[in-house]
Amino acid sequence: MSLRARGATVRRGTFTLVADFETPLAGVTVVFGPSGAGKSMLLATLAGLNRLESGDLALDDRVIEDAMARTRTPPHLRDIGVVFQDARLFPHLSVRGNMDYAVKRAPADRAGPGLEETARQLEIGDLLDRRVRNLSGGERSRVALARTLLSRPSLLLLDEPFAALDGRRRRAFLALLARVNAETGLPMIVVTHQIDDAAELADHVLAMRDGRIVAMGAASEAMSRPEFLSLLDTRDLGARIAARDISGGDTLARGVWVRADAVMAAAERPHGLSARNVWEGRVASVVREDDGARVLWIATRAGEIPARITQAAFEELGLTAGKPAWAVVKTHAL
Amino acid sequence: MVHFDEWQVLTTSLTVAGRAILFGLPLAILAAWALSRPVLPGKSILDAIVHLPLVLPPVLVGFVLLLLLGRRGAVGMWLEQTFGVQLAFTANGAALATGVMSFPLMVRSIRLSFEQADRRLFEAAAVLRAGPWDRFWSLALPLAGPGVLAGAVTAFAAGLGEFGAVITFASNIPGVTQTLPMAIYSALQLPDGESEALRLAMWSLGAAVIGLAAAEALHRWSRRRLEA
Repeated sequence: MSLRARGATVRRGTFTLVADFETPLAGVTVVFGPSGAGKSMLLATLAGLNRLESGDLALDDRVIEDAMARTRTPPHLRDIGVVFQDARLFPHLSVRGNMDYAVKRAPADRAGPGLEETARQLEIGDLLDRRVRNLSGGERSRVALARTLLSRPSLLLLDEPFAALDGRRRRAFLALLARVNAETGLPMIVVTHQIDDAAELADHVLAMRDGRIVAMGAASEAMSRPEFLSLLDTRDLGARIAARDISGGDTLARGVWVRADAVMAAAERPHGLSARNVWEGRVASVVREDDGARVLWIATRAGEIPARITQAAFEELGLTAGKPAWAVVKTHAL
Repeated sequence: MVHFDEWQVLTTSLTVAGRAILFGLPLAILAAWALSRPVLPGKSILDAIVHLPLVLPPVLVGFVLLLLLGRRGAVGMWLEQTFGVQLAFTANGAALATGVMSFPLMVRSIRLSFEQADRRLFEAAAVLRAGPWDRFWSLALPLAGPGVLAGAVTAFAAGLGEFGAVITFASNIPGVTQTLPMAIYSALQLPDGESEALRLAMWSLGAAVIGLAAAEALHRWSRRRLEA
């Protein structure tokens, strides 16, 4: 599958979204960017909930909206499922009623696990007869995901589905998404402003700022580009490391975001260390920050890894561009 | 001492108001749904027409009905010749006049519950493959359900007391179109009728209080239901 937007423009007040991209839809595509970048608006537009002012949208070769030709497939015929940030469960129905709403309207010829099976997989089997107003945030998210899966869309959009979840539940939900994607092969587009979630889930990335796409491509490549890194807070500066390059990494995660603050730089091969992740390489570049701290970009076989070190450490180690260097990260810092 | 058959007056009132609501309700739901749409061509005109009975003198509404639907009215003549149906000075006519008068009350209450329903839920339903009609039946109506009932009950209670339009269009015929307020009026026209009028007034008051209490309870249920 592939998704194409050509000059797709939506205006809301003073904010304008202009989406211009083409991306393959396989695995998980993450839409990343700071708050107010227009990520949710892009998702709603793909689902048909916003009207294009100009431009067009196409899924594979099927044009789903074309402002010029005044054609648009209404949301209920787009075959695109959405899990909203605020779950949007129907208050007059029970959990089972909400899920059944999707089952009744799903195309009959699409195979997949039924209501009970889906509830079991998402660990909401005990909630089926509850009223939705009595659910916790995490439970709502899972019911909303179950409901959307049961409508059997051919593309699944998720708008910050973990926003309401705390640490452990968030990890569980991320793992759940990765598992659903692995088991069903259902392509997903996930909106998030958390860099860790993006690195963990993304096969492909669409990075946004101020209503525009500023970087896109395979996660392994796009997330190291300057336009992508420019979206991050200083504290979030880092690099995506593919799961296969990490010792003791989560098998379902695609990668991990390693922050420059969590990386130690060594001028000699370290020994007698507890850290499991040591990458050998060379200093590719050194960036001086306002307070004198340096960010060393160490080119390794796992990619360029930044290490933020103090001015004193920098002067003592003498790690200038071209020198051999080792990047060290504790597994638990990943 | 005159005597009114109180039971007959009460049943006439209940059936007239009941029929008015029963037949008016589907139309009121339709009008309320249309008026709750953010964009609708001719919305302000529809809004004005719906609210007209609220601001016109009831006698005038009855008179307009008489002009249109009376035996010599344009529509009335056609109805009688084609279907043999006569509305003026009948119980059906009383129900029609009551329905027209209580229509704006019903529409206002129902429209409010449609407007209170969370728009975002409709987006969620749409991406679960529910088309516009499906969304109306599966979401808008069930969510507004208690509000619709509350509107119907309020209109019913108000309909029990409808006077001007009914007496003009359907007259004051004991056992046919004589409802509570008309019986009270008739009683007051007679010497020594005051105690009778008072008794009828008690019935009227009782029915109104029960109706209002029921409407209030439904409104509260409606609000609870719309809170997710």
